[in-house]
Amino acid sequence: MIKLDFEHRQAGHCESGVTSNLLNYHGFKISEPMVFGIGAGLFFSYLPFLKMQHAPITSFRVWPGKIFERVTKELDIKKEIHHFRNPKDSMDMLDKILMKGLPVGLQVGTFHLTFFPPEYRMHYNMHNMVVYGKENDHYFVSDTLMEFPVTISYPDLMKVRFAKGTFAPKGMMYFPMYVPAQVDLKPLIIKGIRETANNMVGIPFPIIGVRGIRYLAGRMRNWQKRFGDEKASYYLGQVLRMEEEVGTAGAGFRFIYGAFLHEAAEILQQDWINEISIEMGENANKWREFSYLGSRNCKKRAKPEQSYDFLADILLECADREEKIFRKLIKIK
Amino acid sequence: MENPIQGQEEINLPKDEREKKDGQEKNLVYTYNRELFYSFDKEKGFTKKVDYQYTANQAIIKQGWDAAEERLNDVKRQVIAGKRSPIAYFMEKKLMDIPILASYMNQQKWKIKWHLTNAGFNRMKRATLERYAEIFEISPEELKKPSFFT
Repeated sequence: MIKLDFEHRQAGHCESGVTSNLLNYHGFKISEPMVFGIGAGLFFSYLPFLKMQHAPITSFRVWPGKIFERVTKELDIKKEIHHFRNPKDSMDMLDKILMKGLPVGLQVGTFHLTFFPPEYRMHYNMHNMVVYGKENDHYFVSDTLMEFPVTISYPDLMKVRFAKGTFAPKGMMYFPMYVPAQVDLKPLIIKGIRETANNMVGIPFPIIGVRGIRYLAGRMRNWQKRFGDEKASYYLGQVLRMEEEVGTAGAGFRFIYGAFLHEAAEILQQDWINEISIEMGENANKWREFSYLGSRNCKKRAKPEQSYDFLADILLECADREEKIFRKLIKIK
Repeated sequence: MENPIQGQEEINLPKDEREKKDGQEKNLVYTYNRELFYSFDKEKGFTKKVDYQYTANQAIIKQGWDAAEERLNDVKRQVIAGKRSPIAYFMEKKLMDIPILASYMNQQKWKIKWHLTNAGFNRMKRATLERYAEIFEISPEELKKPSFFT
């Protein structure tokens, strides 16, 4: 029996929440938005050729695993990341690390996750959580989505760690070994903001960043004509689910990023960033408005209440706002 | 500050609809877990709160599950009509598609497709059938003769 003194803190986004909680355990106080910002988590891409649950994927964040990777690299943290072929080996390794007194981050699939809210149990393999103890055959788990710490049994944990499908976790586990006590965050924040701004406005590819939002808006206008009411509403629902559902803390991470900019302004002591954080907050509210109005079309599928042109116009406005924000941010010094 | 776009909602909704909405809020569909949400307000700045998903978002989530149920019923009809094998039904029930099922089975996609037809299903080895049953978390007998046939 081992139970580490791990503080469970709920978070909006699983990966940055897990990273922040792990660093917090090692005595490095860092908030979730700060991790998200330094890890350059904000992104946008619309991938009409890749489908999940029979509808195209819209992504509001960077590749899974990138945030932890970037943050630990930038902060100069000693860490280990392991993948496994054999489930038994992976569990033995997990026990060994726990015995050493280190909490472990795991990538898991959500479909067989027993404590997860039933409405989110889909074949989604990019969820992250922390295991911080073991008693007999049960593990103590801190999942940032859940309000309270939970437990999971040995066979169930093995199953979710070896879920199959796209982005299969392959038993991936990661944990920081050594965390420096004091780090100057200023250059890291600047680097993170620059990276995000470049991702959003600097990549000349039509489905990524601000261009991606405009591309999605253009596609959206044709959905009704091309696919009919039912399917158009389902496609819209998919965009909204990716934007609002599990692990975005609302408005496709725009709120978290705004909170990060607000924190960054204080650390960098540059007031103009605080003004931009307010713009970001307003932009996030615009995204919320989009999802609120869009959800009406999902309720009455056969008879859309809002025209798709109108929703596309909101998206274009969001794109314009974000372009303005990131054109300013890319010049940060 | 309850809802980040509450002000917006009040502009958009006529009064009687607003009251109806308040009533709906009390019987939310998904109340298993409360999540953390960030919100923004010009005066208060960025705030955090723990709550159930907003009503509007619950409708979006419900749409996804309704669509899944509809697909399942479609497949069920096809299976009863003898056009596809019971594996198609249980695959849909577990929200899988062919690539996911293929990776769970550790087999090629064309082989899964073959097992989705009745001809392929009937000629399947017993061991393969048991493997499928294990993945779908049912007994091999149930997979051979699903209960909705009777």
